[in-house]
Amino acid sequence: MNTTRLLATLALLTAATAAQAQTATQTVTFQVDAINQIAFTGSPSLVINSATAGSAPASATASGSWAITTNQSNAKITASINSAMPSGVTLTANLAAPAGASSAGATTLGTTAVDVVTSLTQVAEGSLNVTYGLSATAAAGVVASQSRTVTYTITGGT
Amino acid sequence: MPRLRVLLLALAALLPIGGRAANAQPATLSVSGNPGLLRISTAVAGSQPISVGNSTTTYTVDTGNPNRTYDITAQLNAAMPAGVTLTGTYAAPAGATSVGQIALDQTARNVVVGIPRRTTSTHGITYQLSATVLAGVVPLSTRTVTLTIVQAP
Repeated sequence: MNTTRLLATLALLTAATAAQAQTATQTVTFQVDAINQIAFTGSPSLVINSATAGSAPASATASGSWAITTNQSNAKITASINSAMPSGVTLTANLAAPAGASSAGATTLGTTAVDVVTSLTQVAEGSLNVTYGLSATAAAGVVASQSRTVTYTITGGT
Repeated sequence: MPRLRVLLLALAALLPIGGRAANAQPATLSVSGNPGLLRISTAVAGSQPISVGNSTTTYTVDTGNPNRTYDITAQLNAAMPAGVTLTGTYAAPAGATSVGQIALDQTARNVVVGIPRRTTSTHGITYQLSATVLAGVVPLSTRTVTLTIVQAP
């Protein structure tokens, strides 16, 4: 070992001392899944009990609210009821649309799912209005108190 | 004989360096490992997705004896996706101060400050992941968090 090599070795030793590990690293792994959540509040009650003479019975309305969170694009909400309405009686639902989405307006509900809100894209919004309407023709006659379950489904987002 | 003389000279030269190293031993920092997967998968309808956290890892700091204090900084190797935030909270040793929960990015940011000398201790790390709906779906991703112990200004 000559003097030059010795000095170089000493320099390396000094540098190594100054550069000793003063850092530590961690790997953080993460992901965000597709999220589609809707919620409805209220159990509206609808009673038809009057009419203007010469016209069909007056419709009844009731309101509730709904909320949505989706981080997907172009999702939609469909609605259906668990069993058909009595003959001559019609139940509708009208959901207010959150920002950027489209409401189908007052939509007749049946046992087949129908679109009630479309074009739902990356939105988190609550306190949205939902209005139910009940109408009946005179031919429906007297209909005893009964209930239907409305099922809302959010689907189709990408 | 000339080689022996050179060797003795080398040893003599090393002694002062070794002595300084003992007095000025650099502070060291290590971590216990990597946190588990941070996965956001649900929300309350009407609200932003629910954040998730992980508090399973720790860091160990050893400041040695120099008459100085130290800070710990943290930074990411790459930016987080838009709408996604990774925060870190690093508990502080006695006599030091944690800056609390702090959003991590590519800038080295103080997370613990004023660590006194003669500190050798282990403390918890908490990571939290949050996302807005505008982040959309984020596939499995990783970021490297670099913790650095630096002499306080």
